[in-house]
Amino acid sequence: MQVPSAQATAAASLLALEEVSCRFGGLLALDRVSLQVQPGEIFGLIGPNGAGKTTLFNLISGVGRPTAGSIRWSDGAINGLPPDRINRLGIGRTFQNLRLFQRLSCLENVLIGLHHSARAPLLPALLGQRSFRQSQGELRQRALELLELVDLADTARQPAGSLPYGSQRRLEIARALATAPRLLLLDEPAAGMNPIEKEELSALIRRLRSRFDLTVLVIEHHVPLMMSLCDRLAVLNFGRRIALGTPESVRHDPAVIEAYLGVSA
Amino acid sequence: MSDLSLLVQMGFGALLALSVYLPLRCGQLSLATPGFYVIGGYVAALLSTRWPALSGAGTGYPLTSLALELVVAALVAAAVALVLGRPVLQLRGIYLAIATIALVEILRVLNLNLAWSGGAVGIFGIPQPFAGPGGYALATWVLLALVCWLCARLEAMRLGRAMAAIRDDELAARCMGIPSADVKLTAFVISAVIAALTGVLAAHFLNTWNARQGGFDASITTLAFVVFGGSRIWLGPVLGGLVITALPELLRPVGDLRLILFGLVILLGPILFPQGLITPERLARLQQTLRRP
Ligand SMILES: Nc1ncnc2c1ncn2[C@@H]1O[C@H](COP(=O)(O)OP(=O)(O)O)[C@@H](O)[C@H]1O
Ligand SMILES: [Mg+2]
Repeated sequence: MQVPSAQATAAASLLALEEVSCRFGGLLALDRVSLQVQPGEIFGLIGPNGAGKTTLFNLISGVGRPTAGSIRWSDGAINGLPPDRINRLGIGRTFQNLRLFQRLSCLENVLIGLHHSARAPLLPALLGQRSFRQSQGELRQRALELLELVDLADTARQPAGSLPYGSQRRLEIARALATAPRLLLLDEPAAGMNPIEKEELSALIRRLRSRFDLTVLVIEHHVPLMMSLCDRLAVLNFGRRIALGTPESVRHDPAVIEAYLGVSA
Repeated sequence: MSDLSLLVQMGFGALLALSVYLPLRCGQLSLATPGFYVIGGYVAALLSTRWPALSGAGTGYPLTSLALELVVAALVAAAVALVLGRPVLQLRGIYLAIATIALVEILRVLNLNLAWSGGAVGIFGIPQPFAGPGGYALATWVLLALVCWLCARLEAMRLGRAMAAIRDDELAARCMGIPSADVKLTAFVISAVIAALTGVLAAHFLNTWNARQGGFDASITTLAFVVFGGSRIWLGPVLGGLVITALPELLRPVGDLRLILFGLVILLGPILFPQGLITPERLARLQQTLRRP
């Protein structure tokens, strides 16, 4: 996998945020944030709690609207589009606070992600004809493969809500992958995992990137993990982007050391 | 009431319960079912009494005319549901319930006051396609079987899965690419069609039709069917509709106590079985016990 340089131009970027702001009443959750994500890179977003990272994901995925600025995807503006449209354009996401379909099985959760691959002619479906059953069988097979990829094949029939925390996080990734995204937004995918699980997750994200030609935007608090995982990082603090660059340059950025890393550095 | 007539009423109950169930299955508490039931009934009443060509030459009312009424009622209900559904389904939870109750009430008041619907007295002398309750029972239960089959198939299709997803977490479903507004509208339209088809049969069965057939209490009764039976799998509302419709008749031998007992059942059902009598988990367990010899 070819990793683009930090100087790559905005024109070639997959996702470009230009001066994006988001205001909640008196709170400016995002303040003129600009950044570009290049195809194929793993782009990290770090910053203290309340910095606006999740808000940024919400704006990109259509869950919220920016109050100013524009979000460009490939070559069109997507701000203001509803979340289902944005997903169809190739942006998949997970949620920091786990939003699985709790009562449904793991398999069904992934099948729901495969909604748009599950299109079938109405009449054979209603009559339960062989052609429909066959296509459903293939669909289940694909869902099972995705579950296997995140190491959840054994729990395919269990309700999603009954899984341990770490497994639920991986199920969210499988469900998002099922929607065939080109860009995957991962909101604290390692939260609640132990150090070994975190390492495995990091390897999984790299594997998924090369297997599905993915671009990944990831939020995570564990800084050493992010330093080794990400090609580039942006640092948010109080809604502002205070640094952007390779892990090495971010690590030595005085503003970052003061605002965020200062504690541990 | 004859046993066959009771069977017809029970079938109507189950059909209306399924009509309430479909929007509820994607989390939409719509109480518009009695409105579409009334629309179906008026389509049947008006077509069969005001359009002589439909009555045919023979003694009974032709079944082909009944079939035509069913088609027209389905189309009218679907059209109304399509137009109303977009704006109304943007409301959530209890607000949707209140808005749909208001729709049903507006329709009732309109029908009470319009000339063509027969005003307060309604429409009389609706012709009979069947000689007795037996024919009605057959027609109703055939329709019920068809609708059950449709609901069962739905559960195996992506539309059924999308509905379950929206019910669990609409925002997450949308982020997975599911166009939730379209899915909810589809469920609303199918629900309307089921209610209207039931209305057609009911108008002929009752021989007369008026605005009182659907109103606030009908909204609550049909909702009770689903609350009692369960709203997660189609068998629940069917059971709820059948049992709650039959209960007042079955309790007749206990005399004056029957209304109290009826109330108790409606009250205790949801307390003892908060998810309704029938849930997928309970069904699976039942199947397992039956399979084990
Ligand atoms: N829907 C909302 N309404 C009001 N305030 C919000 C909303 N979403 C987030 N915020 C606020 O915006 C700020 C940024 O939150 P968030 O994006 O979740 O931060 P992070 O993910 O970086 O921890 C916080 O102060 C939070 O309370
Ligand atoms: Mg967050």
